[in-house]
Amino acid sequence: MNRGLSLLLLVLICLAVAWSSFFVVDEKEQAIVTQFGEFKQAVDRPGLYFKKPFLEEVRRMERRIMGSDTPPAEYLTLDKKRLVADPVTRWRIVDPLMFYKTVYDETGAKARLDDIVNSELRRELASHDFGQIVGNERDPLMQRVASNVRGKTKEFGIEIVDVQIKRADLPTEVQESVFARMRAERDRVAKQYRSEGQEEAAKIRADTDKERTILLAKAYETSEKVRGEGDAEGIRIYADAFGKDPEFYSFVRSLSTYEKAMSEQSTIVLSTGSDLFRYLMTPGK
Amino acid sequence: MRSQFDDDGDRPDVADVVAQVSQAMKRNLRRFAPLAVVLLVLVVSYWGVYSVGPGSQGVVRTFGRETGKTGPGLHFAIPFVQKVDVVSVEQIRRMEVGRNSDDRRNNEARMITGDANIAEATMIVQYRVADPSKYLFRLRDSEGTLRATTEVALRSVVGRTNIDDVITTGREKVQEETRATLQKLMDEYQSGLTITEVKLQAVDAPDAVREAFHDVVRAREEKEKLINEAKGYQADVIPKARGEARKIEREAEAYKEQRILRANGDGAKFSSMLAEYGKAQRVTRQRMYLETMERILGKVERKVVVDKDVARGALPLLPLGQMVGNPGGGKQP
Repeated sequence: MNRGLSLLLLVLICLAVAWSSFFVVDEKEQAIVTQFGEFKQAVDRPGLYFKKPFLEEVRRMERRIMGSDTPPAEYLTLDKKRLVADPVTRWRIVDPLMFYKTVYDETGAKARLDDIVNSELRRELASHDFGQIVGNERDPLMQRVASNVRGKTKEFGIEIVDVQIKRADLPTEVQESVFARMRAERDRVAKQYRSEGQEEAAKIRADTDKERTILLAKAYETSEKVRGEGDAEGIRIYADAFGKDPEFYSFVRSLSTYEKAMSEQSTIVLSTGSDLFRYLMTPGK
Repeated sequence: MRSQFDDDGDRPDVADVVAQVSQAMKRNLRRFAPLAVVLLVLVVSYWGVYSVGPGSQGVVRTFGRETGKTGPGLHFAIPFVQKVDVVSVEQIRRMEVGRNSDDRRNNEARMITGDANIAEATMIVQYRVADPSKYLFRLRDSEGTLRATTEVALRSVVGRTNIDDVITTGREKVQEETRATLQKLMDEYQSGLTITEVKLQAVDAPDAVREAFHDVVRAREEKEKLINEAKGYQADVIPKARGEARKIEREAEAYKEQRILRANGDGAKFSSMLAEYGKAQRVTRQRMYLETMERILGKVERKVVVDKDVARGALPLLPLGQMVGNPGGGKQP
C-alpha cells in the first residue's frame, strides 16, 4: 500500500464521517433524528447540529405556517339553506415527533385535517342561520370552528392558526331564485323612486300654486283697502267742497249730466211752455 | 503518456500517479503557490460576494440560522456556510383578486352581501415586504396565502354590507375594512407583508340582474328630473305671481291717488265757481243754464217743439217710434 493512497482514503473517510455527523436545520424547517426508526431527538431551532454518523437519520419538516385548502363542499344551514363553502385552514407543525408518529407527513396531515375541518364546519354551520353565517356571526363562528379543530388536531402535533371560509356561495339552482328576488326588490326600489319623484314634484307644484294664490289674494286685499281709502278720501273732499252750497252743486252737476246724456241721435220733444221757450211766443215783461 | 499504455499494457498504479502528482506539486510549489492563492481568492469571491440593491435587504443565514441583515451595497458571505436571500422591502407589489371567470360555480368575483344579494367585485391589493425574515421563514407561499386571505377578508366585509352600499356609496368603507381585516389576518399568519392599499375595481351586480339595477339608477334619475321640473315650475310661477301682485297693488295705489287728486280738482273747480256765483247768483245761474241748453240743442239733430196747449193732446199721437227708427227722417213739424 502506497502512503499517498492511504492518505487519500483517510481524507475521504473523514469527509464522509463529517458529512454524516453534521446536519444543518434551516430557518424554514425543523427536524427529528431517528436511529433505525427509533426517536432520538427533536430539533426545532435552526442551526448546525451533530448526530451519530451513519446510524442516525434526519427527517426534516416544515416549520412555517402552511395553508390547507379544503375543496368546496355543500353545507346545510339551520334554516335549511344550502351553502357552498370553501374552507381554508392555516396550520403549522409544533411537535415534530407527534406529527411524524401520527400522520407521518404533510399529505397525511392534510387528509386528516380536511376531514376534521369538514365535520366541524358542518356541525357549526348546521346550528346557524344562513344570514348569520354570511354576515355578522361569521368571525365568532369561524373562531369556534378553529378552536374545535385545534382541540382535535393537538394529537397530531399540529397547531391551528385559524380556519376561514374563503368562499361562501349559494348553489347554482339557488342563485337563480336569489336573482329573481333581487330583481323583484330592485323593481320595488325603482318604483319607489319614481313615485317618490312624483310625490315630491306634486308637493312642490301644490306649494307653488298655494303660494301664488296667497300672493295674489294678499295683493287683492291690499289693493281693495287702498282703493277704499282713495274712495273715502275722495268722498270727504267732495263733501267738503260741495257742502258749501248743495243747491248750486246740484244745479251744476245736473247741467253737466244733461249735456252728457244727450247725444246727436237723441230726440228732444220740447213744450213751448217750458222755461226755455218762455220768450219764444212772447217777448215777456 | 501514450507510449506507456502502448509499450507494456501495464496500467499505472493509482498510487504511482498520486505520488508523481504530489512530487510534482512539491517541486513546483514555489512556482504555483501564488497562482493558487489568487485562484482561490477569485473563486471564493465569485461564490461569496453579493450585492444588495437600493430598497432591498439581504437576509443572511449561517448554517441555516438567521444571523443578520445587510443593507444596500456590496457584501461578502462565506461560501457553503452562509446563504443570502435578497428581498426588496420598498417595491410595491400588486395582485389582482377576483378575476371574473365564466365558470359559474367557481366564480372568484361573486359574493353574497349582507342583505343576501349577490354582487361581483374585483379587487387590487398592493403590498410590500415589511419584514423580510418573516416573509422568508415564517409563512409558506405568501402570495397564495395573500390571494386566499384577500378573498376571505373581502367576503367577510361584503357579507356585513348591503348591496347598495357595496355598489355605490360604501365602497371606501368596504376597501378600508377589507384592508384592515386582511392586514390583521396576514399578521396572524406572520407573513411579514404590509398591505398598502386595497382597491375595489369593478363592483357590479351579476349579469342576470344588472338590468334591474340599472333601472333603479334610471328611476333615481327620473325622480330627480321630476323634482327639477317641479322646481322649474316653481321658479317660473312664483316670480310672475309676485309681479302680478305688485301690479295689482300699484294699480290700487294709483287709483287712490287719482281719486284724491280728481276730488281735489273737482272740489277746487266747484269752489272757484261758487265764489264767482256768489257775486251774481241769478245772472250766473241763468247764463249757465242757457249756455248748457244751447250746447245740447246745438248738438242734438232731432228736436220737436210742441205748443204747450197742443202738447197735452198731441203728444200721444206723435209718431215717435218712426222718428226714432228713421234717423234720416229730418225734422218733424
